[in-house]
Amino acid sequence: MRRYLARRLLLLVPVLAGVSVVIFMVLHLSPGDPVEIMLGSQATQEDRARLRAELGLDQPLHVQYGRWLGHVARGDLGRSLWMKRPVLDEVLGRFKATLVLTGTALLLSSLAGVALGVASATRPNSVLDRLSAVASLFGASMPTFWLGIVLMVIFALWLGWLPASGMYAAYGGGDLRDLLAHLVLPAVTLAAASVTIIARLTRATMLETLGQDYIRTARAKGVVERAVVLRHGLKNALIPIVTVVGVQAGYLLGGAVLTETVFAWPGVGTLMVQGILARDFPLVQGCVLVVALSFVLVNLAVDLLYAWLDPRIRYE
Amino acid sequence: MSVTTAWLALVALMIGPGMAVPAAPQPAGTLVVGLVAEPVNLDPAQVTDLNSNRVGRRIVETLATFPDESTQIVPGLAESWTVSKDGLRYTFKLRKGISFHDGTPLNAEAVKFSIERQINAEHPFNKLGKYPFANYFFGNVKAVEVVDPSTVEFVLKEPRASFLAILTAGAASIVSPTAVKKLGVDYALQPVGTGPFRYVAWDRGQRVVLERNAQYWKSPVKVERVIYRPIVEDQARLTELLTGALDLIVGTPPDFVAQLENNPKVTLLKQVGAHVWYLGINNQKKPFDDKRVRQALNYAVNKEAIVRDVLKGTGSMSAGPVLPGTWGADAGLKPYPYDPERARKLLADAGYPGGFTTSMWVPESGSGMQSPVAMATVMQSNLKAVGVNVTLQTFEWGAFIAKLRSKEQELFALSWMAGNEDPDMVMYPLLHSSQWTPGGPNRALYKSDTFDELLHQARLTTDQAKRAELYRQAQRILADDPPWIFVDHEIQTAVHSKRVQGFKLHPSFDLRVETISLK
Repeated sequence: MRRYLARRLLLLVPVLAGVSVVIFMVLHLSPGDPVEIMLGSQATQEDRARLRAELGLDQPLHVQYGRWLGHVARGDLGRSLWMKRPVLDEVLGRFKATLVLTGTALLLSSLAGVALGVASATRPNSVLDRLSAVASLFGASMPTFWLGIVLMVIFALWLGWLPASGMYAAYGGGDLRDLLAHLVLPAVTLAAASVTIIARLTRATMLETLGQDYIRTARAKGVVERAVVLRHGLKNALIPIVTVVGVQAGYLLGGAVLTETVFAWPGVGTLMVQGILARDFPLVQGCVLVVALSFVLVNLAVDLLYAWLDPRIRYE
Repeated sequence: MSVTTAWLALVALMIGPGMAVPAAPQPAGTLVVGLVAEPVNLDPAQVTDLNSNRVGRRIVETLATFPDESTQIVPGLAESWTVSKDGLRYTFKLRKGISFHDGTPLNAEAVKFSIERQINAEHPFNKLGKYPFANYFFGNVKAVEVVDPSTVEFVLKEPRASFLAILTAGAASIVSPTAVKKLGVDYALQPVGTGPFRYVAWDRGQRVVLERNAQYWKSPVKVERVIYRPIVEDQARLTELLTGALDLIVGTPPDFVAQLENNPKVTLLKQVGAHVWYLGINNQKKPFDDKRVRQALNYAVNKEAIVRDVLKGTGSMSAGPVLPGTWGADAGLKPYPYDPERARKLLADAGYPGGFTTSMWVPESGSGMQSPVAMATVMQSNLKAVGVNVTLQTFEWGAFIAKLRSKEQELFALSWMAGNEDPDMVMYPLLHSSQWTPGGPNRALYKSDTFDELLHQARLTTDQAKRAELYRQAQRILADDPPWIFVDHEIQTAVHSKRVQGFKLHPSFDLRVETISLK
């Protein structure tokens, strides 16, 4: 187990290196020039050339990449070209907000998804099952920004129950209640699509599991229906569900970009968008690195969870 | 606990506190402003975007400035100035007794430091920042000389009548040298100046907090604190205003204007700004090298419909680059009327009776670009009606700006905010032939010797009435030989709650919250 974990953690290095090469190439090969964007249209040719040299952007790509990698190896993600702040501080500060948002959304979508899925599977073709199917279709096909705006108009503008944007009230606030109030709309918006995916998958796996012989045996033994469904059924159906929840975690981290923009949530997604628009290479690299790292770690956690859920699974 | 109960408990946990926390009113004296994007940094010498400037310029000030309602030049940190006969020496007398927020005095040394850090590559603090305007604004400055602690002299390489207008720009702000030396590269994040507000805090992605400068020299500032919140999404910004979480927002989407004008909870302000939106034409490419073709395009486009139906009244039709009503504008100039018949005839005269096919490059968005794609789409259909088939290509801003350097553009949408009303600051960079892209911003590759000469003469003339006459002639040349399709000048909008009193939008697009008092 320990060797497995060590191997998996070591594998992080090539994965992250690969991610960084890809993002580096994509950024540098896409049209647009940070110097041009930073200096605006009044800048002269010499201004641009000077700044380009100052930032090292006149070097060949492999030299630029090598230099960046050298700094990263020493734990220095550089300074943002555009905001002048150290990238690491900036990204980590924002990443906390993203974790709060995606974590809540993941919790919300897992609980609601599994609950809906189990309920549908135990009463297939019931009204609840049909409703859940319709809701799922709706949830999966609604664009995040649209749902976000609709929820905002209803709960913030019309009903006045919840704040419309931000993570805390602008003037002070800052306690847990304030945070939770600001969290509801973005978290629900972000969770919506995942709920439906998890619910549909849970329903399908549960239907299959509940058709197994051991379920019939359990029922024959006179086990209470709830225990049959939850202990014998759900526990055995969990492996694919955990897999899809892991995938959803990655999706939520990525999907947070739109939700964060709609709700002015100060997360890493909005930072990344700003960085991409400004062609702020070190900043975008830093954001992607942190998001990729967390995605890989979530995957690892999911793999470890398998062994815990099903003792037959062993890592050697 | 069943999964359902757990779920309900979670929902209760999430919604409960929300219902218990109604939108609390702001503390008295705190103004909360919604910006369309987060500032990049707060040193106006290091940024090119409006949001950064709108915050940074509350902290630092310039030698010459504008009154609250116009862009006519008045004394700022300098109480008076003289210009030498040859137009090469500008001598400023500084106001006495003004201190920076860190307590150090404003003096001639500070002025010298503020400008030299940008233009002198050898200056010890030059490497701390990127100064986008250093060459554009101050490339003509030979030296900044300290005459005595309260007198400073700018020596120019050649006369430039618009130099005072340049000194009103954010890049010409006077900074505390002590603070720059102390903070180094971080100075841009927490500048120190003489302005009505001082920097307090910046929570990344959330808010910038400024506090009243109790010693402000000009007039007492009535607001205790200003908090700026970046909210990109229009609906979110608007909702926050209507629910009382924000006091003031700028950049109202045109589609919301009518609804807000009639909303009793808020006040909508409008003010035309020193801005021009144009559809550039590559003057060097066939068939656009024929001025009849460019005239035809101007007649073909229905500006009135664009301003009315797309911009919903947030633009005023343009007859040229200079903002009507300012001192350099030619009052006799009228926008090209919408006359497709005449356009077709001109095209036929130029040898294109059946029209032609061309391309139009448009950025998806951008500072000052208003509603670029919708506006371009109207123009595309207008041009089709006179036989000009246009392929519309949209780009993300960064890619768009890079692409314009190729000189391959045919038609392209752009705008310009000069920040002041001096005609030199819009016509020279955009249309003088020395400013052709990629060296300068003349992306239409326009060249007219007479026009170039008029602009040059106007730079050498210090008398404003004489300059105005030269600029009027220059504008008449542009009207007859149009380098672009002239479209509109933006009417900027702001919406504020009823507790905000005394606020005016400024034609320079500055956001002067120091004029506000809160009810």
